[in-house]
Amino acid sequence: MGYSAARGGLDAILAAEELMRAKRDGGSSPPLGADQVTERLNLAVDRVMGEAGLWAPRLAALALRQAEGDLIEAAHLLRAYRSTRMRLAQPVPVHADELEILRRIVPAYRVPPGPQLLGRTLDYAGRLLDVGTTPPAKPDPEPTAPQPADPTRDGRHPGRLLDLLRSQGLIRDRRRDDDPEPHDITTDPVRPGAPRSARLSVMARAETGALVNLWYRNILGPDGYIHEVTLGEVRHGRLPVRVVHPVTGQPVCLGEVRVTEVEAIEDLDGEREERAFFDVGYGLCLGHNERKAIAMANLDIAVERDGGRSPLEQNVLMTTDGLDASGFLEHLKLPHYVTFRSMVDRKVAIKAAAERRAPESPAPASSPVEPATPTGVTR
Amino acid sequence: MTVSALAASAASGEFGHLDEQSKREIRCALLTAVAVPGYQVPFASREMPVARGWGSGGLQVTLAVIGPQDTVKVIDQGDDAGVNAANLRRLIVASTGAAQTTDARAASIIQTRHRIPEDPLGADQVLVLQVPVPEPLRGVERDMRELARMHAEADYTAIWVSLYEDLVRNGVITQSTGYPVLVGGRYVMATTPIPRWDVPKLHQAEFLALFGAGREKRVYAVPPHTDVEPLAFEDVAFQVERTEGASCLLCGAVDAYLVEVPAHHGWICSDAAWCERHQRRSGEGGGQSG
Repeated sequence: MGYSAARGGLDAILAAEELMRAKRDGGSSPPLGADQVTERLNLAVDRVMGEAGLWAPRLAALALRQAEGDLIEAAHLLRAYRSTRMRLAQPVPVHADELEILRRIVPAYRVPPGPQLLGRTLDYAGRLLDVGTTPPAKPDPEPTAPQPADPTRDGRHPGRLLDLLRSQGLIRDRRRDDDPEPHDITTDPVRPGAPRSARLSVMARAETGALVNLWYRNILGPDGYIHEVTLGEVRHGRLPVRVVHPVTGQPVCLGEVRVTEVEAIEDLDGEREERAFFDVGYGLCLGHNERKAIAMANLDIAVERDGGRSPLEQNVLMTTDGLDASGFLEHLKLPHYVTFRSMVDRKVAIKAAAERRAPESPAPASSPVEPATPTGVTR
Repeated sequence: MTVSALAASAASGEFGHLDEQSKREIRCALLTAVAVPGYQVPFASREMPVARGWGSGGLQVTLAVIGPQDTVKVIDQGDDAGVNAANLRRLIVASTGAAQTTDARAASIIQTRHRIPEDPLGADQVLVLQVPVPEPLRGVERDMRELARMHAEADYTAIWVSLYEDLVRNGVITQSTGYPVLVGGRYVMATTPIPRWDVPKLHQAEFLALFGAGREKRVYAVPPHTDVEPLAFEDVAFQVERTEGASCLLCGAVDAYLVEVPAHHGWICSDAAWCERHQRRSGEGGGQSG
């Protein structure tokens, strides 16, 4: 008894993998380069990095290519790869004010402090399908990164609307004096009653569609808890990543990541709330993904206001991870014949119990059963 | 250690897929689980090369406790040849160099989904069960903070009432697999979904049973020689699956967990390797042949 008895399943999965590989890597078009994915499908790359919780554009591109464009699969590949890597260092916290903006929108004011910088966005592009059969020509000249009217350091690092509202005494002050370590959701599993840092981390890695749906369900669904916010900041830009140098003990910059950051201004309109103030929800995720950051900011303040009265926090913390939800859904494809047999056993038992309790009722006619044919049975 | 040495060690393929820090964390959680039988210990579940719900918890437990000298058996529904069992086995073997077997008696670690082998397991064997839903009380309570309170205070009223109501309404307790058990007289525990047939095998067992729920990020354990009592009433006995007159079409077994084969109007053993051995034995003995 040994290996051969278990061969059938292995042969089947090897054949399935070969079918995947043949279609993906075959075909008549040239092979897809990772650089093409990072350049031409950059929003997909950003989304995969955000949901994987790992900034690695080239690896995300490789994952997307391997997964044939399936975003969840690609995020899974990236996270599983991360599981094999040792954590070499903890970054030094950076202040979000260090964000060098590529885009910044302040819907709450016509002329806010600092620039309204439209930057790179599809928001106002006509959704007209370009059915041209020739590939798009290279732009000439290559446009440069969007520039604020004031391209100085201040223009690239504008102040926040929140600061203005604070100076006007309009923001409920929830800032705390201590500086607790953030909850690391990759080493410490999250449960309801979690600190805000855990909630924000969960949402930063959450599946975009899950956050959007949770937000919308709470707007329009029968159990809604969300109040629509006014956006104070929508930013996309670059943040430095620093670690402490092991020899000098000084922080050194290792590179930068692009993030989307949102501040959502919330009108405190509840009966027992401080009606004279606004409050703020926060969203930040890797890459350019405004949909996700906006949903995150609104859900952040909604959970805060809810204070554990509704299932909202549990929904946010436990149901928005794309890998968890997709994996569990798809596991239904696995064989379940052991459990199903047990369920059938109970159905038969319930019927038998009912017959015992009502013995006068006629028994169902038994159907003829063909004799067993053991020789035809194989595994 | 120099940075280049550190980077080199990080770049090399890790034994058992996970980095050492992750394996230590999982082992710490498992030690807690063994010390507090039936208690669900939170752990930092890593993303594995298999999807959530596909044995990622069991795989992490196996990889945290396995060594290159181990012999591993992996089954799904009792079958070594099931596709997901085959996939998990190749991942375990490829990343650890452990030996593989289909013989439950020869394995030092058995990773399983939905079954406990028919062969009695010994004190030198570890059974690793893949767990989709570790919370036995979820059917009666959805709020996780309330569930934590109920376990902490051993407040199991709700599940007892639900079993009683089930009995009154249906004449039998209708829970099929994953039957709730009281472990060590203290914690109510979900029995993965193994069939009720397998539940008594956990009571006062010789072997260590480790349960891994990767998606829900919890592990729990039943150490050897621990009481595992199905929740049942004094006057209504716990029932295992049994069909009058059913026997295995292949090996003739009556006293095994059988699954129906409707095309042949009969039954076969779900424990495929055990069944195969019994077919050979009955063939050699000139008894029932399959």
